[in-house]
Amino acid sequence: MKKNKYLLLISSLLGLGLLAAAAIEENYFREWRRIQEQARGESGPIPVQLRQIVNPALKAADRCVSCHVSMAPGESMLRGAEMLRPHKPVVHDPAEYGCTVCHGGQGQATEKDDAHGRVAFWPEPMLPREMSWAGCGTCHVPLGVPGEKPLREAELAFERLDCYACHRVEGRGGTIRPDGGGMEGPDLSFAGLRGYDAAWHEKHVKKAEAESGAWRKSFAPVSAEDQKRLEMFLRTRTGASALVRAKSVFLSSGCLGCHRVNGVGGDDGPALDAAGLKDPGRLNFTGVPGGRQVSAWMAEHFRSPVSVVAGSQMPPAALPEEGIRQLTFFTLSLRARELPERYVPKDRVRAARFGEREFATDGETLYGAFCSGCHGADGMGRRLAGLAAFPGIAHPDFLSIAPDELILRTLEDGRPGRRMPGWLKPEGLRPEEIRAVAAYLRELGGTTRQPDSRPARWVAGVAARGRALFERYCTGCHGPSGKGGEGPALNNKVLLAAATDTYLVETIRRGRRGTAMAGFAEPAPVRPALSQADVEAIVAFLRSLEGGKS
Amino acid sequence: MTTQATAKQSRLDPEPMPRRDWLGLGALWTMGASFLFAAVGMMRLPKAAVLPSPSKKFKVALPETLAAGEPFVPPGRAVALFRDPEGVYAISLVCTHLGCIVKPGAEGFECPCHGSRFAPDGEVRKGPAPKPLPWLKVSVSGGVVTVDEGAVAPQGTKVSA
Amino acid sequence: MMPATEPKDALREFRQNLRAAPKRMLETAFRSGPPRTDRSRSTFVFGNVFLHLHSVRTHRWSLRWLTTAGLGIATLAAFLITLVTGVLLMFYYKPYPDAAYQSIKDIHFVVPTGRFIRNIHRWAANGMVIAVILHMARVFYTAAYRRPREFNWLIGMALLVVTLGLSFTGYLLPWDQLAYWAITIGTNIAQSPREITDALGITEYFDPGGLQRLLLLGSDTVGAEALIRFYLLHVMLLPLVLAALLAVHFWRVRKDGGLARPADADEILARERHEETYPVFAELPQKTYHLAAIVRGRTPAVGRGPENTVPSMPHLFYAELGVLMVTICICLLLSICWDAPLKELANPNVPENPAKAPWYFLGLQEMVSFSAFMGGIGIPTIVLAGLGLIPYLDRESEGTGRWFGGPGGWPLVRFSLVFGFSAAILIEAFAIRFGWLREWFPNIHQLVITVLNPGTVLTAVYAAFSIGAMRRYNSTRAGALALFTCFLCGFAVLTVIGTYFRGPNWQFFWSPSDWPVH
Repeated sequence: MKKNKYLLLISSLLGLGLLAAAAIEENYFREWRRIQEQARGESGPIPVQLRQIVNPALKAADRCVSCHVSMAPGESMLRGAEMLRPHKPVVHDPAEYGCTVCHGGQGQATEKDDAHGRVAFWPEPMLPREMSWAGCGTCHVPLGVPGEKPLREAELAFERLDCYACHRVEGRGGTIRPDGGGMEGPDLSFAGLRGYDAAWHEKHVKKAEAESGAWRKSFAPVSAEDQKRLEMFLRTRTGASALVRAKSVFLSSGCLGCHRVNGVGGDDGPALDAAGLKDPGRLNFTGVPGGRQVSAWMAEHFRSPVSVVAGSQMPPAALPEEGIRQLTFFTLSLRARELPERYVPKDRVRAARFGEREFATDGETLYGAFCSGCHGADGMGRRLAGLAAFPGIAHPDFLSIAPDELILRTLEDGRPGRRMPGWLKPEGLRPEEIRAVAAYLRELGGTTRQPDSRPARWVAGVAARGRALFERYCTGCHGPSGKGGEGPALNNKVLLAAATDTYLVETIRRGRRGTAMAGFAEPAPVRPALSQADVEAIVAFLRSLEGGKS
Repeated sequence: MTTQATAKQSRLDPEPMPRRDWLGLGALWTMGASFLFAAVGMMRLPKAAVLPSPSKKFKVALPETLAAGEPFVPPGRAVALFRDPEGVYAISLVCTHLGCIVKPGAEGFECPCHGSRFAPDGEVRKGPAPKPLPWLKVSVSGGVVTVDEGAVAPQGTKVSA
Repeated sequence: MMPATEPKDALREFRQNLRAAPKRMLETAFRSGPPRTDRSRSTFVFGNVFLHLHSVRTHRWSLRWLTTAGLGIATLAAFLITLVTGVLLMFYYKPYPDAAYQSIKDIHFVVPTGRFIRNIHRWAANGMVIAVILHMARVFYTAAYRRPREFNWLIGMALLVVTLGLSFTGYLLPWDQLAYWAITIGTNIAQSPREITDALGITEYFDPGGLQRLLLLGSDTVGAEALIRFYLLHVMLLPLVLAALLAVHFWRVRKDGGLARPADADEILARERHEETYPVFAELPQKTYHLAAIVRGRTPAVGRGPENTVPSMPHLFYAELGVLMVTICICLLLSICWDAPLKELANPNVPENPAKAPWYFLGLQEMVSFSAFMGGIGIPTIVLAGLGLIPYLDRESEGTGRWFGGPGGWPLVRFSLVFGFSAAILIEAFAIRFGWLREWFPNIHQLVITVLNPGTVLTAVYAAFSIGAMRRYNSTRAGALALFTCFLCGFAVLTVIGTYFRGPNWQFFWSPSDWPVH
């Protein structure tokens, strides 16, 4: 039976070899071992062992520090490899919070690709390095963020008025007194969280009057408008200005008109509270440039929603590449999750329990956040292939004759049956915010309203005649029985309840310049001018549509 | 196995072994070696490479209002930190008798399990504890104190901020 | 007359005894001494508690590689490997839904040798299932189930079922998407008798399907209760049952006279060249070896010299250890090259699509896609019953111990292979291309489909083929050869289709790259 002995011998040798190979691979060829072997601390080489940051409350057991050793608790400067740089100074100590809370990725892993989450079957890959601040969104909610333009103005005001000369913000600016007495003014990086002195302006001016010397020039009194800008700048300093900037772009793109975030917004589209936690394994990457990254998918989604999500009704974001990047940045930060009591930050409490708004409540920001997605940044409406047209609500011809009642009623109740939602609801806007939007619209249009002395209903026309005229001249755009088509629906309850007869008559007579609605008081090549009586008959017919009767 | 041509020997009797069965023995020993190697590897498994408990080194910020001699116990840690004019120091709250957590008080430390009492500097005053409470290694940088529960410092070491 | 001795000195005796103690310890532990003679080789086996399940002498026919291909020992080796690695994994695995997945990740990344051991466990488990099926096929094709080995065949079938049960219960433990949904499917298959009771309207009063599922899961969904039950089954109950059945299985091999061999085995061996030729005994021995009891039935040698047998020590043990080491090597090689799979954490809200059962159940799942009851309960019962009845239906004696022995032989098996593959592929192709009754007659009663679906049609076709073979060769063995071969072909075809060609919603796709992305 020699062959059995050979069988045993050869298979044993093979087995021994395989075991040795496995042992060597595990004990010598791991990347983390090689990195730690290169490390040199104050007292020489460090012990080579797995390291981790454990935080049971946050369910973290992050072994990132097996390679990124300097970031481990209690480790200080280590030299020897790129990997051993310490963590950038941040508010939260990585040794307490772990790494994955902010950066994402697979903390339990000890191999590079697994740890960075760039493997199949790990739903939460690491955030791109340049967008690491999006990780703040795991816990935090930046509050009171304005739209892009006001924020930019605020940032520029702080620069223009030379505040950086004395104050440091996120590592930039600030002067150290020559006598070694610290910085001239306080560090304002977290003024939005920790608060600032409300009497700062008086104090600055008083100081200018009291002191003499070179410092005086910096404290010239600041105009009221600039004061507002500076205060907006201070309110938004939370230590993550990149995220705040990205949020301001979000708030200027009208996304909240269709999407809900933290319970506020429209419901045409899905709620975005977990939009930053998309699982790359479940996304379709065909036609997405930039590889199988969630950020690439999101960016393409903003550029052309319908090519990434079949059947999407979302209009493409009308933004340049930088704007798309900012939108992606902000959307990645929408990754809030359940937190233990101890770790719930104050801003989330303020938003959830005290109803403080995430966005600034001035008309410009509100319009940018809720309306501009459909109605355009300039308020002149949007026309997109495949979607119903969105009217220009800041059109001068509209604003000059629209009664306040009409604008407010439309904002509050929307257009039932059409895409315009009513905003006076818990997930929508508050009454003062609606008024702010209405006021901003008037400002955007740049016209004042023409006075109208007539009562709301004064037309006395013949509805039957009006119907004939309507069917001849109006149904082409406004649909049979005014149910809408290219043009808005005219049988809408809210419209007819809030519009005055003057408004309707003047709209028909003058039209809206620059749109397909012609002024019917003027003749046109295809039809004669309509007389006042004709127009009134049409209006009478429209009134008969009230309640949906035809 | 050869056959005996002459004497009709029964094979129940001992027969001379002409040569060692190198092949068979070699095969068996190789198998044994591979089992031994495997056993050694398997015995490494139960010793965990990382412990699932929070790290022994931790950072803490002492409250501004801490009086001299007043203990500050960070939440979730069995360490008491003190600050006095000479500096910051940390004393472990793990009783040296059998490991219960002692309570810091005005006159030192008291262990609820078997009644050990310790002086404010950790020396044993009373009770079954065999050794004083250890002082732990502390380092201060920029207002943040780092304590290493795994490293013992000589009694009386105070680190100035 | 007492010889002159020294007077007794207790202290000197104490010292002498103490010095001789180590040698005596060895001598009392290993009483038979080194195995250099046939007698001591016999005692080595017989007198050792671990080894005495073996017979003292083994027929040389049993040691030929082609007799058994070592498959039985390979199955046992795979079981031992899973046992050892499984116990090691138990040091770290936590059987609760909140902790299970994390503990597997920890084993993979952090535990010393954890990744390697987990891989070995997974591949050895798969290897055990494959080996047990191949072993069953070997026993069948060499007609080694015939008298007196019928009951051992039934024990072997029980071992097959327990092996599949061990693999199935272990499948859930990682608590990832793969595990969760596979077990959801599996336990829903257990509930499939409802297809019948629902159609008859009696589910309210008689619900064996629901009961089966409830017993397995401990709840109405796959959750913590199911996990702890499957863990209990996997680490304690089923291994104990398996060990008990193994003991009976090996004992039966002994009592049935060792492995089956053809009647002319000795002549064949005589023609072959071999070194350990033992001449016939010069005289009838008075006593061959230490007999512990008179046994009735078969022992390797009764009434004549042990020709053509070799001492089990060392020849059988070299063979067994060789197979053990080869199995170990295969597991090691697979474990170094491929990691055991682990998908995302189980999420009850996100079904895997397609959700597939473990590979050995994919043939069943394919049939379940046509009829839940037939695929889950009906056809498996028919198959198990059929397999169990083989030794009782085939009581012929021609060809025992020979590969493809019996009327028909290899030509019949070859033809059955062709027929079995073709029938399975054709029926599957028809169902895939044209659909089945429900597509053409939407209102047809469910019971009609239960009775008439591709699974039952295939079974009927195979049965008819087997009856045809029986008639043609006028032999029950021929019928068994045909039917078993067809069964293997059908199992292979259905499993391959279920594995590679079924995509989301169990639709047919030629390749995974054709699968629609959500």
